Amino acid sequence: MGMERKISPAALADEAPDEALLVAFANGDGRAGRDLLARLAPMLFGYATRVLGERSEAEDVVQETMMRLWKIAPDWRQGEAKVSTWAYRVAANLCTDRLRRRKTRAASPIDAVAEPEADLMSAVEVMTEKDRAEALATALHALPERQRQAVVLRHLEGFSNPEIARIMDIGVEAVESLTARGKRGLKAALSGRKEELGYGDD
Amino acid sequence: MTRDQRDDAALEALFDAGRDGPAVTDDFMARLAADMENALPQPDLPTPVKPPRRNWLAGVFAASGLSGAALAGVWIGFAMPQTLEFTTETEAGFELSYLLPGADLGSVFDE
Repeated sequence: MGMERKISPAALADEAPDEALLVAFANGDGRAGRDLLARLAPMLFGYATRVLGERSEAEDVVQETMMRLWKIAPDWRQGEAKVSTWAYRVAANLCTDRLRRRKTRAASPIDAVAEPEADLMSAVEVMTEKDRAEALATALHALPERQRQAVVLRHLEGFSNPEIARIMDIGVEAVESLTARGKRGLKAALSGRKEELGYGDD
Repeated sequence: MTRDQRDDAALEALFDAGRDGPAVTDDFMARLAADMENALPQPDLPTPVKPPRRNWLAGVFAASGLSGAALAGVWIGFAMPQTLEFTTETEAGFELSYLLPGADLGSVFDE
């Protein structure tokens, strides 16, 4: 006698691809919309907060991104793009727009970096998890905008370089360059080596 | 371990700490859910199929359950009872030849 495996509707919703949920939403399924929202909103919020450094602005970006997603849902062309990649791309553009509107912050990003440390590892070893997260957030904001976006997508959101290329609408080589320079910049900022921080964006 | 390797390891430790990210508030999620509900497309409901409109006279015929021929019979019976009334008593009314010309031809040949 074979064992019957029962799958709850909630488990099925967990397994459904983002695209299936979006199509179901477009057909009037509010539950699919809520499931998709629960998946995407926290990720987008984490990304936008890291890039923008402010929760309220990050919330605005996520809200606008989700509204755009709901709006295009009926016209979504299946199989052409991943829903999450599309959403990150919209969020990335909205973040870029907001960062470019900020004039004061761009003046001297290095001023925001924490106390310089001669040896980064020695400093990190004595930090709590919370302190580490805060130090990283502060150092990220010392980076030029595009480097910051690429580093966040690669090292915090876990996207591959080709995925980041699609999100940022650039080539894979440009992504590699941005993330490499971004990491160098982070190390320099955290170590207080201001002279190594490059402010050129691309 | 070189300085660069130590820096890389330190950076990885910072990335690990920063990966969890800030959490969304319930209030914010509720706002997003309300946006989603407002944007939710209405499902396509099947439109009821209207029966073809027939003219009223056809409806009367159909309602009566009578075929055309039967209805004609009813009409004739109702409208011309006098015309169709006849009797076999020729002296009291009319002969069969009134209704069927030629019925009395036999008498002509007999002459």
